[in-house]
Amino acid sequence: MADAVIVVALLLTAASATAAVATRDPARQALVLAVLGLLLGVVFTVLQAPDVGLSQLAVGSALTPLLIMLSVRKVRRRGKEGDK
Amino acid sequence: MNGWILAATVLLTAGGGAALWGVATGPLSRRVVAQNLSTTVICPSLLLLAQGYGRTSYVDLALLLALLGPVGTLVFARLLADELTGDRPAAWGLTWTAAGVGAAVVLVLCAVTGPSRAMVKLLVIGALLISGNVVASRALSGGLRGVRDG
Repeated sequence: MADAVIVVALLLTAASATAAVATRDPARQALVLAVLGLLLGVVFTVLQAPDVGLSQLAVGSALTPLLIMLSVRKVRRRGKEGDK
Repeated sequence: MNGWILAATVLLTAGGGAALWGVATGPLSRRVVAQNLSTTVICPSLLLLAQGYGRTSYVDLALLLALLGPVGTLVFARLLADELTGDRPAAWGLTWTAAGVGAAVVLVLCAVTGPSRAMVKLLVIGALLISGNVVASRALSGGLRGVRDG
């Protein structure tokens, strides 16, 4: 019974990872990835590794989405310039 | 398993499941709102977990999330501004409900902690969480002109 929170966190992480794979558009994928990062932080916390969870939260909640969205933006701009 | 961890599990199941469902399906505007909601739900559950495990240092995770979660949402509001101009995502009922849950959790934990430095930290986390959530929601619904035009 004490492991219920671990099971819930793992199930949510697995579901969000599946959703991230199943999403095709990169911008929407970045949104799912942001949630996946938060849930991974929770998993690390319930497994008693808060130091890992701390860095995972920092990277997963703000840094990964920022990098992906900036790349998507740059690629789209380059594509538009290529059309001209 | 004590009551705190049980409460965290319930909050994580309900809120995390709802946020995950919202972020994985539907139009883009709903996905952004759900991403904002995920921060507001997971931060209080981290606070409950810290209380349940009896380790005050776990509160730092919630503090970091209350700081960086709205920043992540603002990134999306800024970089998806072109695609979000058509239908402005506005879910104020949901925003205030989530903020109310966060405030309730923080107040209960404050009552348990008693007046000390830990209580001040909890109050700071609560203020950061709610204000960050409201600012991110305003940015998403187009209330902040700088985000929309910049």
